[in-house]
Amino acid sequence: MPGEAPPAMPPVCVPVVYTIRGCDACVKLLRKWDAERVVYEERHVELSQAVLNEARGYGDLVPIVVWPDGRVEQGFGDTIGCFI
Amino acid sequence: MPLATTVITPARFAQGLSYAGFLAKATVNHDKFDASYQSVPLTDEDLSFFRKAAALPHGPKKMLALAEAWCGDVYRELPTAVRIAEATGMELRIFFRDENPDIMDEFLSNDGKSRAIPVFVFYTEDLQYITHFTERSASAHAGLAAAMDEVKTQLNLPATATFGNLPDADRQVLLRELITKIRPYSDQWRKDAIKEIRELLSAALKISNAG
Repeated sequence: MPGEAPPAMPPVCVPVVYTIRGCDACVKLLRKWDAERVVYEERHVELSQAVLNEARGYGDLVPIVVWPDGRVEQGFGDTIGCFI
Repeated sequence: MPLATTVITPARFAQGLSYAGFLAKATVNHDKFDASYQSVPLTDEDLSFFRKAAALPHGPKKMLALAEAWCGDVYRELPTAVRIAEATGMELRIFFRDENPDIMDEFLSNDGKSRAIPVFVFYTEDLQYITHFTERSASAHAGLAAAMDEVKTQLNLPATATFGNLPDADRQVLLRELITKIRPYSDQWRKDAIKEIRELLSAALKISNAG
């Protein structure tokens, strides 16, 4: 209809991954996902207290993956990950 | 172990940050650093030992710390190093790990595979290496391993289970249980870190570990 605002875009359903630059487990996870062409949203916890607090709401160590269906996974690979 | 040829020259050491400078550049965890600073478990006897060590002609007069503000082990342990420096007059210089990979390379742990932090390196006045402490105490590492074994038993996982060979769902349960199990030991492991730093200095300086 003329003059009517377009409908809002639906949220993009991609996993959100909380990472720390220099965290080996984070690097390994993203390397794997990049190789598999997984689309994701990366949030750097070391850059902002707000993002760090957000990550702590989901877990204690990065990488933390929040899947679109609500599942949360911490750590990656054969190491425990980095405590935050 | 530190390399035979070090990048820590007097000029480089001087480029390190004071604690105030570190906090000013830290983007996260100011509340955690403050809380840890207020609750550093150094006893009078500990401080007496560190003062005695620092007073030796060949004793520690300078301390280098490798750190990152986002790291849990750093915000728990760095304030201890700060308090030791304040009590003894040691000059403490802090370097961000990820901005100083050449320094980090001198103090890798886990057979050269890990860039674990914090690292506290003690030097003489003329920057002769004395000893260094990495990440957390041996008791904390042992406690972590023991907790891992306990959780595997509790969850009926095979002894051979590792983070790397478990299905994702089991891995997540293992991690959650492990974190729950080790959380109460945090304060004890801070005390153990102080004990270990004392032992390291005592052995390197060949002095009694008494305060």
